[in-house]
Amino acid sequence: MNEIVTVYSAEMMRRLRSRAFILGLAIGALAIGVMIQFPNFMESIYTNHTNRIVLAAGPALLPRAKALLEKDFKVVATSSSVAPPTANDMKAHRANAYFILAATPSGLMVTAYARDPGDISASQLRRLLLPLSIESAARISAHRAESIVRIPVRIRPISSKFASAQQSNAARGIAYILLLLLYLLIIINSQIIMSSVAEEKTSRIAELLIASVSPAALLAGKIAASITLALIQLGVWVAVATFAGGHGSIAASGSGLGASSPALSLAGVSASELASFLVFFLLGSLQMSTLFASFGSLINRTEDLGSLSGPLIMPVLVAFFIALSALAVPRSMLVVVASFVPLLSPFVMFARIVVSTVPLWQVAVAIAINLIAIWGIAVLGGRVYRVGMLLYGRPPSLKQVWRAMRA
Amino acid sequence: MLIAEHLQKVFGNVYAVRDVSFEIAPGSTFGLLGPNGAGKTTIMRMILGIFTPDGGRISWSDRPIDARMRRIFGYLPEERGLYGKMKVRDQIVYFGRLHGLVEPEITRRTSRWIERLGLAEYAARTCAELSKGNQQKVQIACAAVHEPQLLVLDEPFSGLDPVNADTLNATLDELKRGGTTLVLSSHEMWQMEHLCDRFCIITGGENRASGTLAQMRAAWPTRVIRVAPPSAALRAILDAVPGARPVPGENGCLDYEVAAGAPLPQILRSLVAADAVTRFEAIEPSLHEIYIHTIGEAKP
Repeated sequence: MNEIVTVYSAEMMRRLRSRAFILGLAIGALAIGVMIQFPNFMESIYTNHTNRIVLAAGPALLPRAKALLEKDFKVVATSSSVAPPTANDMKAHRANAYFILAATPSGLMVTAYARDPGDISASQLRRLLLPLSIESAARISAHRAESIVRIPVRIRPISSKFASAQQSNAARGIAYILLLLLYLLIIINSQIIMSSVAEEKTSRIAELLIASVSPAALLAGKIAASITLALIQLGVWVAVATFAGGHGSIAASGSGLGASSPALSLAGVSASELASFLVFFLLGSLQMSTLFASFGSLINRTEDLGSLSGPLIMPVLVAFFIALSALAVPRSMLVVVASFVPLLSPFVMFARIVVSTVPLWQVAVAIAINLIAIWGIAVLGGRVYRVGMLLYGRPPSLKQVWRAMRA
Repeated sequence: MLIAEHLQKVFGNVYAVRDVSFEIAPGSTFGLLGPNGAGKTTIMRMILGIFTPDGGRISWSDRPIDARMRRIFGYLPEERGLYGKMKVRDQIVYFGRLHGLVEPEITRRTSRWIERLGLAEYAARTCAELSKGNQQKVQIACAAVHEPQLLVLDEPFSGLDPVNADTLNATLDELKRGGTTLVLSSHEMWQMEHLCDRFCIITGGENRASGTLAQMRAAWPTRVIRVAPPSAALRAILDAVPGARPVPGENGCLDYEVAAGAPLPQILRSLVAADAVTRFEAIEPSLHEIYIHTIGEAKP
C-alpha cells in the first residue's frame, strides 16, 4: 500500500507541474466557458444586428402590431407613412428591415423590405401577427382574437421522471454537457497516462522502477493519480460552467435561436445525477486508463503513441455517439443493449439515467458488469504492462501480447 | 547467502538460461561474465524477482525470492534511465521512498549519496541538464540510496570516463566494506578482477566456468614461462620441455607455454645450468585470458 501511495504522490506532483496538465486545464475551462456563452453571444449579435426593424402602419394598427412584433423584434422606429422606404430610411435607424402593415377585407397584409431578404421569415411574421389578422378580418376584439390563437395544449407525463417538456429539454441539455465532460475527461486522462507510461518506457527508467516496486503497485498508483487529476479538472471545469451558466442563462428569449437552445447551465444538475456521473466516470476511467496504460507499455518510441492510441479511442467514440443518440431515443434497443456493454456502458447508461427512468436493477447490472470488466482488464492489462515494460527493440507482435495476457 | 540452483528461463522456444547454479556469500562480490546475449541480464532479473525462473530456484538467506525482497535489493540496469524533468535530489528521494525509506532518514541518506558521488552542485538541477556520466551517478545513487543488502549492477562502468569509473570503484569498495553483497556484470575485465571475489562465466545461457580467480587459474591447463635473456642456449632448454611451445610475449624475453603440471623448479635448474638467467617468471593467466579461452571453447 505504501508503494502505491509513493507512486501516487510522485505521479501527482509530476503531472500537476507538467505543462500539458496546466494547459489542458486552462484550455478545457476556456472551451467550456465559450461553449456555454456562445449561444448567448450569438443571440446578442442576432438581436443587436439583425433584429432591428422600422414599423409603418395606420394609427389603428400600429400599437397592436408593435406589441405583437416586439416578441421577436426590436422596433426602433414607427411611421404612419405606408410609402416604400428608401435606403436612407433604413440607414437613419440602423434597421435591417422595414415592415409596412395594411388592413384589407380579407385580413392583414404585410410588406417587408430588408437589406437581406433572407433575414425575413414569412412564417415568423404570420405567427406573430395572426391575432391581429383575425381581429382585423373577423372584426372581433383583440382579447377574443388572442384567445382563439392560443390553443390550450396540456402535456402530461406518463411513467416519466419529468413533469414538463421544459424539464425534459433542460435534462437533455445538461446530459449533453455532462457527456461531453465525461468524454473529455476519460479521453484526456487516458491519453496522459499512456504518455506517462510511454515516457518511462522510452526514457528507460521502467526497469529501475520495476526492480523497486511491483508492476501492479506502479500501475495502481499511476491510475489513482490520473483519476484524482481528472476529478480536479472536473471540479475546475464544473466551477467554470456554473459561473458561465450563471452569467446569462440561455432561456428562450424569443429570437428563434434562443428558443431552440437547450438550457446550457449545470445549476440544474441534481445530486443523483451528479452521483451517477461520478460512478460512471470512475467505472469508465478505470477501464480506459488501465487499457491505455497497458498498451502504452508496448511503445518503444513516443512517435508510436498516436498509432497505438487511435484504435483504443474507437470504443469511446462509439460509446459517445450512442450516448448522444440515447439523449433523443433512450429506449431504443441499441441504446439499451449498449448500456450493458463494458467500455460503452459508462457513457450510454449515464445518458439513459439523465434523460429517462431506468429501472434500478438495470443500473445495478450495468455497474456489476463494469466492475467485472475492470477486474478483467486489470488482470490482462497488468500482464501486458509487466511484460511490455521490459520489452525493448522491435514492437511486440500480437502473438507476444496474447502470450503475455495468457501467462 | 544467495543460492541459485539449476536456474532456467525460456522465452518462446529460446533457452535464455539453462541449468545455471552459483552461490554468493554475504558481503562478497560476484562477477557475472559473458558475451552480449549470454543470459547475464536474465539471471540478474531472476535474482531481483523481476522474472520468475521457469526451472530451479533462488533463495536469499534461505528464503525464496519474492516481491518483498525488492526493499532490501538494489538494481542498476544496463538500460539507464531517469525522469528528465525531475530534479536530481527529488529523483533519489523518490527511489528511497519506493524502497521504504522515510524522513528524516531519507534526507540524510540522499544528502550523503549526493556528497559521496560529487553531485552536490547538480542536486537542484533537472536530470536532463546533466552529462551522461553524472546521470549515471544519479542512477547509482537511486539504486543504492536505501543501502541494500544485495546490489545488482549490470554493466556499471559502461559510459564512464576514468575519473568517474574510479569514483564508482571507490563507492563499490565502500559498499562492500559496509557489508553489501554485490553482483556485477561488466566487460571491463581488469575492474572485475579487482572488484570480484568469485566469478561465473556464462555463454549461451549456460555456466561454462565458475569459482574464485585462484580456482579458475588452478583449472587452467597451461602456464606461460617468461625467461631472459633470449639466448640460443636457453631457447634450446625450453624447446626440450615436453609439450612446450613458444608464444608471442615481451620483447627481450622468451615466452613459452607449458602444461600446468610442468616441473617448474627442474626447468629453472636446467636453465640456470645452461646460461646466466636474469629473469624467470611463471605467469598466471589473467581473467581476460580465462574468459576468452572459456568463451572460445564454448563456440561450436
